Amino acid sequence: MRAKLEACLSTANQVFLGKEKQVRLAVACLLARGHLLLEDLPGMGKTTLSHTLAKVMGLDFQRIQFTSDLLPGDILGTSIFDKDVGRFVFHSGPIFAELILADEINRATPKTQSALLEAMEEGQVTIEGATRALPEPFFVIATQNPASQSGTFVLPESQLDRFLMRLSLGYPARAAEKALLLGESRRDLLPCLEPVFDHAGLAAIQEEVAAVNVSDALADYLLRLVEATRTHPQFAWGISPRGSLALIAATRSWAYMAGRDYAIPEDVQVVLPAVAGHRLRERADYSGSGDSSLVQWLLREVPVL
Amino acid sequence: MKAAEVIPRNSLFWLLIVQFLVILPHLQYLPPWIIVLWLGCTWWRLRIFRMCAAYPNGWVKALLMLSTGLAIYVSHGTLIGLDAGAVLLMTAFILKTLEMRNRRDALIVIFLGFFAVVTGYLFDSGVLAAVYSLLPITALLAGMIGLYQNDSAGYRAPLRLAGSLLLQALPLMLVLFVFFPRLAPLWGMPQPAEQAVSGLAESMSPGEMVELSQSSELAFRVTFDGQLPAHENLYWRAITFERFDGQRWARSSNSYLAQEPKWEPQGEPLSYNIIIQPNGRSWLFSLDVPKIQADDARMMADFHLERRRPVDRALMYRTVSWPDSRREPSATSASLAASLQLPRQGNPRTRIWAEELRRSEPDPERLVQVLLRHFNQQPYVYTLKPLPVGENIVDDFLFQTRSGFCIHYAGAMTFILRAAGIPARVVGGYQGGELNPAGNYLSIHQFDAHAWVEYWLPERGWISIDPTFQVAPERIRTGLQQAMVQEQSFLEGDPLALHRYSGINWLNELRMAWDNVNYGWQRWVLNYQGDEQKQILQKWLGSFELRWDWLGIGLVLVLAVLSGSLALLLFKPWRSTPDLVQRLFLRYEKLLAGQGIVRQKHEGARAFAERAAQVLPDQAQAIRQFTGIYECTRYSGEPASPREMQQAFKALRDALFSRNHAKDRIH
Repeated sequence: MRAKLEACLSTANQVFLGKEKQVRLAVACLLARGHLLLEDLPGMGKTTLSHTLAKVMGLDFQRIQFTSDLLPGDILGTSIFDKDVGRFVFHSGPIFAELILADEINRATPKTQSALLEAMEEGQVTIEGATRALPEPFFVIATQNPASQSGTFVLPESQLDRFLMRLSLGYPARAAEKALLLGESRRDLLPCLEPVFDHAGLAAIQEEVAAVNVSDALADYLLRLVEATRTHPQFAWGISPRGSLALIAATRSWAYMAGRDYAIPEDVQVVLPAVAGHRLRERADYSGSGDSSLVQWLLREVPVL
Repeated sequence: MKAAEVIPRNSLFWLLIVQFLVILPHLQYLPPWIIVLWLGCTWWRLRIFRMCAAYPNGWVKALLMLSTGLAIYVSHGTLIGLDAGAVLLMTAFILKTLEMRNRRDALIVIFLGFFAVVTGYLFDSGVLAAVYSLLPITALLAGMIGLYQNDSAGYRAPLRLAGSLLLQALPLMLVLFVFFPRLAPLWGMPQPAEQAVSGLAESMSPGEMVELSQSSELAFRVTFDGQLPAHENLYWRAITFERFDGQRWARSSNSYLAQEPKWEPQGEPLSYNIIIQPNGRSWLFSLDVPKIQADDARMMADFHLERRRPVDRALMYRTVSWPDSRREPSATSASLAASLQLPRQGNPRTRIWAEELRRSEPDPERLVQVLLRHFNQQPYVYTLKPLPVGENIVDDFLFQTRSGFCIHYAGAMTFILRAAGIPARVVGGYQGGELNPAGNYLSIHQFDAHAWVEYWLPERGWISIDPTFQVAPERIRTGLQQAMVQEQSFLEGDPLALHRYSGINWLNELRMAWDNVNYGWQRWVLNYQGDEQKQILQKWLGSFELRWDWLGIGLVLVLAVLSGSLALLLFKPWRSTPDLVQRLFLRYEKLLAGQGIVRQKHEGARAFAERAAQVLPDQAQAIRQFTGIYECTRYSGEPASPREMQQAFKALRDALFSRNHAKDRIH
C-alpha cells in the first residue's frame, strides 16, 4: 500500500514540478477524506494539480467554473420534461463526480456557494425534495484568487470551516520553472497518467489512515494548541471542535504518509498551517484574509512536550 | 504580545473602585484640591476607556506633575516628611491611573495602592481603620486578578477569588501575628504632624489649659489590678512646673535630672497597667509614688517618670504605686532653691499678703490650712471662662476677678507659699478618669487635665494639696462635666463630642462599649509586641525558655515546611513525571544541554534530535536511537520496555562521555 502511495506521489511530482510539500499535503488531505481549498493567483497550476490528483487517484473529474450568474441548478442538475417519455427526467449536474474542481468559488453568489455546503458535509444533495447520494469517494477542490477581490463573495466562515486544508502553491523555484519551460506541455502529460489506485485501494488506505495511533500525549499537545487559540486575546475566535477533528485527521494522514502507524508532534506542526490557517483570524484584522503569523505564534509558543 | 497586556474592562472597573476605597480614609488630612484632581483624573480615564479622549501626552503629564508638586509645596510648605509625603503618594497614585495603558502600568497602580493602604496605618491604627483596610485590600487583589483575566470573566469573579484568597491567608496571618518577633524599626517612624504633640506642654499658661479642657481626646487608659481607688484620689502626675516668669509656669531643670529622689515605699501598693496614647512627649503618667517595670523609663528628681524617647505610638507599661509614701523627707536647700524662685517683681499685693500670713501663722502647716480655708470661704468661682486679668495675674486673680480653674488656683497658691518662704511647686497632670463598667478600666481624657500644688516640709517631705478641691469639690469627686453643669461650658466648642451627651443613656452605653472595643484592640492587638508578646508566649510555652532568635529560626522553619508541603500538594511532582520515560527524557535533555544544545519549547523530540544530530554527528546514531524509543513509547501506544530505553540512554551518555574525553585529549 505504502509503495503505491509513494508511486502516486512521485507521479504527481513529475507532472507538478517543484512543489513536493504542497502535493504531499494535498494527498494527505484527500486521504483524510477532507476537502481542499487552493488559494493562489491565476496560472499557478491549481487546475493542473487537481487534475493530476484525480488521475493518479483514479477518480473521475469534473470542473465547475464559478461565476456570479451560476445557479445552484447548474451545479446540482435539474429535471427536464422529456416529451418522448412524457415526464420529467432528472439530468444530474457536474457535482455528481468523484473529484470536483470548483474554480474561483468566491465568484458565485452565496446561494450557489451554499449548494456546495450540503454536498461537502453530508456527501449528498437534495434536489426538488429528493435526496440523492453523491458518489463515494467525493472530494471538492476549490480554488480562489486572493488578489482580485472585486465582484466576489467572500466565503463565510461556516464554509471555510468545511475545508480540511487551505493551501497556497506559490511560485515555483527557478530550477523547477526551467524544467517546466523546457519540458512537455503539462496538459499533454495528463492523459498519459495511469491511475495508481482504484476505488477499493483508496478506501482501504483511508481506513488505514484513520487507524493511525494518536496517543494521550499527542492529544494533549493538540488540545494545548486549540486552547491557546481560544484563550489568547489576539485570536478573534478559537478553533472549533470540527477544526480540532480536522487537525487530528490531517495529522494521522501525514503520519501515515511518513510511514508510521502513530502520530508525533512534528506531524501536527507540519499540517497545522494548512489546517488552522483559514480557521483563525487576528482580532485586529477585519479584512479577514487570515494571517500566517497567528499559526507561527502557535507553533512557537505552545510547548510541545 | 502587546494585545494581551491591554487592561481588561473588569480590571479597570476594580482599579477605579480601588482608588476610591484607598483614598477615602486619607481624605481627613488630604487638601481639598486632591478631590478635584482625583475626580478629574477618573473622568478622564473613563473617557479614554470609552475612546472619547486620548491619553495625556508628555507635556500634559509633565505639567500635571509639576503643578501638583507645586500645590503640595504651597499647602504643606515642604515635599518631604510624612504628611507631604503621603499627599505626594496620593497624587502619584491618582496621576498614575491616568497614564495606565497596559498591564505593567496597572500593576504599578496596584502596588502603589497597597503602599497607600499601609501608609494609612500611620495616621490611624484603630479597629475601624484596620477593618476598613480589608476593603481596599480585597479590591486591590480583585483588580490584580482581573488583570490576568479577559473581559468575559465578569466583575464578580475576580472579587470572589480575591475574597477566598484573603480568607485563605487568615490562618497564616494569625500565626504570624502571634509568633513573629516585632523588630524595632531601624529608623524613627515618621509621625503625622497633627498627632505629634498633644496634651500637656512643657510650660503652661492658663489660656492653654482652657484649650486642653475643651478637648475630648483620649490621653490614656488605666486598668487596676485590684479595687479601683476613689475618684478624688486619682492624681495622675505628669511633670512639675517650678519656674514662674510672671505669666507662665514652666518645667524646671530639676525635672530633667535623672536622679531618683529618696523615698521609702509605705502603705498599701496599687498596681495598674496604663496604655498611653501617642502624644510626642517623653513623660509617663503615674500615681504617686511609682515604680515602673520598663527598661527605657526611670524616675526623675521631681518624682515623675520619663522615657528615653517620646511616646510616638500607643505604649503600654505597668506600674506599682505607694500613695502613702514619704517623699524626700530630707532635702538640701540647694535642691529646694528652685521651689522658692519667684520673679523679681510683680504681684506686690500678693507678696505683702503672704508676708502678713507668715507673720501671723509661723507654722507652715497652719498657714496652708488658712490659705485653703480662704479659698473655700471667699467667693471664688470655678469656671472655664475666667474673667480677663492684667499684668499681675496673681494679684488680679486673688483680689479682683476671683474666677478661674485649677491652674489659677494652683499657681496662686504656689506663689503665696513661695512668697511666704515655703518651698512649693505646681504639679501638672490629670485628675480622675471615666470608669468604663464594661471593661472595668478608666479612660482619662484631655479635659481631665489638672494642676495641683505640692509643698515641702522638713521631715515630712513633699505634701500634695489641691486648692481646687476647696472651690469646686465636685470637680475632684466626679469630674469636670459635673462641675460645669451650671456653667454649661463642658466641651462647649465641640458640639459633636459624645461626652456631652452622656446624659442620654443608650448613647452613653454605646460610647462605653465602643471605647471598650478600642481599648481591647489597643491592648491585645497593637500592644502585642516586645515584652507583652514574650510574656504571653512564655505562658503558652510553659517552662521552656523563650528566645527570640530560636523563635525566629523556628518560625522560618515552620514556614519553609508549610510552603514546601503546599508546593508539593499543588504541583504534585510525583504525578507530573509519572514514568521512567519522562524522567529519562528530562535527563537526556540535561545531558544535551550540557553540550550546549537546549530544547526549545516548540521543538518536538524528533526535531530536537535532528538538530542535536547535526551538532554532534558522531553521536547522531545514539541520539536518534534514544529519541526513536522515546517517541515510540510516548506516541505509538506500544511502549518499549524501560530497560531498552535505559540502555539507549546509557549508550548515548557513553558516546558523549567519550567525545568529551576526546576533546580533552586534543586540548
